[in-house]
Amino acid sequence: MNTLFTALVIILAGGALALLFSRRFVLMKMATIGTTSTGCVIGLLYSISHLLGYQAAIEKSWSWLHFFTLAFKVDSIALFFLVPIFTISPLALMYSFHYMENTEKSFRTAVNYFFFAVLVASMALVVTAANMITFVLAWELMSLSSYFLVVFDYQVKENRQAGYLYFIFAQGGAMLLFAAFALLYHSTGSFDFSSFSSIPEGPKLLIFILAFLGFGSKAGIFPLHIWLPKAHPAAPSHISAIMSGVMIKMGIYGIFRMYLLLDAATPLIGQIVLVVGMITGILGVVYALAKQDIKELLAYSSVENIGIILIGLGIGMVGVSEKNQAMAFFGFAGAFLHVFNHSIFKSLLFMGAGAVLHKAKSKNINQLGGLMKRMPITGKTFLAGSVAISGLPPFSGFIGEFLIYYGAFHGVSNHRLSFILAILAIVTLAVIGGLATACFTKVVGLAFLGEPRTEKAARATEAGLSINLVMIFMAIVCLVIGVIPEPFIRLSFAGIQGIAFTAGYNTREFMVIVDHISQTAVFFIGLVFFIGLLRKFLYKKKEIGSGGTWGCGFTQPTVRMQYTGTSYAAEMIDFYRPFVPTKTHYSGINKIFPGKTTWDTKVEDVAEIYYQRYLTQPILLVMNHLRWIQHGKIQLYIAYIVLTIIILLCLL
Amino acid sequence: MESIFSFCFAVLITPLLPAVIQKTKAFFAGKQGPPLLINYFTLIKLFKKGSVYSTSTSFVFQMGPVVGCATSLMMLLFFPLAGAAPIFSFHGDVLILFYLMGLGRFFTILAALDTASPFEGMGAAREAFFSTLAEATVFGILVLFYRLSGSLSFAEFFSSTSPINLSGAHAALLILVFIALYIVMLTENSRVPVDDPATHLELTMIHEVMILDHSGPDLALIELGAWLKLLFYAAFLTRIVDLFHFQNFWLNSLYFYAVVTFIYVTIGTVESITARLKMNMVPKFILTPFALVFFATILTMELIK
Repeated sequence: MNTLFTALVIILAGGALALLFSRRFVLMKMATIGTTSTGCVIGLLYSISHLLGYQAAIEKSWSWLHFFTLAFKVDSIALFFLVPIFTISPLALMYSFHYMENTEKSFRTAVNYFFFAVLVASMALVVTAANMITFVLAWELMSLSSYFLVVFDYQVKENRQAGYLYFIFAQGGAMLLFAAFALLYHSTGSFDFSSFSSIPEGPKLLIFILAFLGFGSKAGIFPLHIWLPKAHPAAPSHISAIMSGVMIKMGIYGIFRMYLLLDAATPLIGQIVLVVGMITGILGVVYALAKQDIKELLAYSSVENIGIILIGLGIGMVGVSEKNQAMAFFGFAGAFLHVFNHSIFKSLLFMGAGAVLHKAKSKNINQLGGLMKRMPITGKTFLAGSVAISGLPPFSGFIGEFLIYYGAFHGVSNHRLSFILAILAIVTLAVIGGLATACFTKVVGLAFLGEPRTEKAARATEAGLSINLVMIFMAIVCLVIGVIPEPFIRLSFAGIQGIAFTAGYNTREFMVIVDHISQTAVFFIGLVFFIGLLRKFLYKKKEIGSGGTWGCGFTQPTVRMQYTGTSYAAEMIDFYRPFVPTKTHYSGINKIFPGKTTWDTKVEDVAEIYYQRYLTQPILLVMNHLRWIQHGKIQLYIAYIVLTIIILLCLL
Repeated sequence: MESIFSFCFAVLITPLLPAVIQKTKAFFAGKQGPPLLINYFTLIKLFKKGSVYSTSTSFVFQMGPVVGCATSLMMLLFFPLAGAAPIFSFHGDVLILFYLMGLGRFFTILAALDTASPFEGMGAAREAFFSTLAEATVFGILVLFYRLSGSLSFAEFFSSTSPINLSGAHAALLILVFIALYIVMLTENSRVPVDDPATHLELTMIHEVMILDHSGPDLALIELGAWLKLLFYAAFLTRIVDLFHFQNFWLNSLYFYAVVTFIYVTIGTVESITARLKMNMVPKFILTPFALVFFATILTMELIK
């Protein structure tokens, strides 16, 4: 455990170095990236080596301010979640070397690196915390540091608003969490996590739901997700990558940890998680399909993937309550593996989107196009990430989903409700897969293929070296996990070995299947190469011409005639209409000789609409009547404080 | 050995079978129709040609046909054709295979979008939409088959202790599945009433419009891939209604291909006697089989304890 803390100290030192060298831009970047990455690599080596040779949880505690105890516990689950934290962080940092290029914002960049280091360290503390005080401290540190990372470009009004929204959701979620902790403390009288399971069955469900909502607002479950599609486009791309790839998984960690600690007997918990997962998955991907801003789309796609992970966890929890060991084992393992896989391909995609934004000066699909020729490395790596996130073999996304499917299929032998839930989970996963394919063919097909829709897109060039290297590395990892999944599956199995119910499950039979999947993937790649060679042979000495695209007889094609993201998704969005409202503004043709007409269509988030209608507006209404409290007179403010203290003294 | 022979034979006979559909349609139209070997001639013709590539396209455009054809071949490699065991098989192979089919679709759609043609974009959008709906049915069928046979591979579906077969104990459910799978076959292979392969207007096409810009050997690969996919679905249907089982491999094969041919004739008949649906009716049509399958699955709740 000392190694882990050394790693964290190095990471924080890296952050401090950034502030120290803030005047020397390049030196600052090199120093902080180098130091922080070193810390991350040490942490990564520590977590992987301990995970594979896992024996027992390691605990450590210090007393703090005489009253509190800071307690840490590193068990297999914590170790597993440390892996994506320490994998993605150094990659995001390396990416930032060529991404953060504005020397005029030198000090601000330094502050950004500082908070990045704080975020990484606080995430590591979140997963290792072993009592409420430690957890809450780390959790708040994580929320605050990520808030400062989001508002990097604070001059832009939208970014400030996005940051504010994120802040509200982070703190609102934290409040629910405190409520859950307060209830727990009330019945146990102890801050210690290990005391949770001893509380009576009755309040466990309520506590879990509170915690689920609190953690869910961080993870982005529907309908608590609305900060994601606002905050991610606002933040710099490597920050989006780390937040979407890793930080929202802390919400998943929280939900799972709470579930394990409470150890409740009610089957309702698993059912709730599963159903919420299905809703989150489907709606997340439908909204992703509806959005034209690549980063917004990726944020919704994160919501979708949180849904898939929750489906996996839900399958596992239902398996536990049904005493179906295989179902529980593969549900949990699938969710864990998907956490890891998603952290990689989502970061890759955000980095790709960042490179596009940097070079083509737009992140709107309808203004891009033809980037595959102008930015071949970004294009190809983005393609790899897209195949992976759509869950298609032979890339990584499929493996995690396969485990979840496998668990869910074991649930088909259950009875009644859990049988129906298992079917629904399988069908939902299939539909999500199909929609994700539609969504990512849209991004790749319209932003990277075809013809550029604007001048800027036509002038785009390849991004900097560090950006490309990181993206190539991540794309290769996505393929490797898909082709040689065994070590990664073992890693996720190692992650869940701390769970009592599934411990000792014999995986030998399944490992044979994994071997077969790997062989199938290799065979498939071979077959594609073989047909490719055959095709080459067939084209030997043939005449290969080139010309314009066949326009079905139309001789004056323009790039504006291409299908747009809006038109590509229109039919599919329409199918889900009640949940995905579309606002269309059409100026109409109302003169004999029509003048300029406009057509504007926009998909609005149904959760946002309802929040506004039933939450924000009533609150504003009430608050407007209370404006007189804020009058700006300092004497009266002091009187408020005195009054509050008197009341508190009387009450306590 | 039988497996490899069976697979090779299937690949060789693939181009012949769609000609059966054309013959059936010609019969209904009172025409003579093209010769049965027409598709072989088409393939040879296309293989001899060169290609013209649009200046808008990139390497993805050329990858589309290759990946599409490879995924279709994969399906047949894992499928127990004509009573012989498939060349490859393992528990869980259906999942990876249907996802591979998704990969084929992924690249076909990308190849279409790569041309920057509004027509091909339109076809791609429809293909993406309709296939997400069909996917739900396919996985519903897999759930039901798992429930009935306890297996997750094509080979085991038909050879487990309680095989999926119309002569078995769950014939009533399988009739529903058969209808559902038949509709999925029509959808996934762009047949009437979802799509009309013989339509003359680009605006109304789905699959055909996506491959407008492909020519020469590329087009041949696409056609071959499409025929293989159709054969896979027809074979799937055939195995469900496989009422007789002979000890002799040759008799089995003969019987198998007779049923497959019959299914192709029914496709031709459907195409002759129905018109294609209006585009906004298609989603309802595709969701019908899902309702059937889901109903069949719910029925198993009480049937199988």
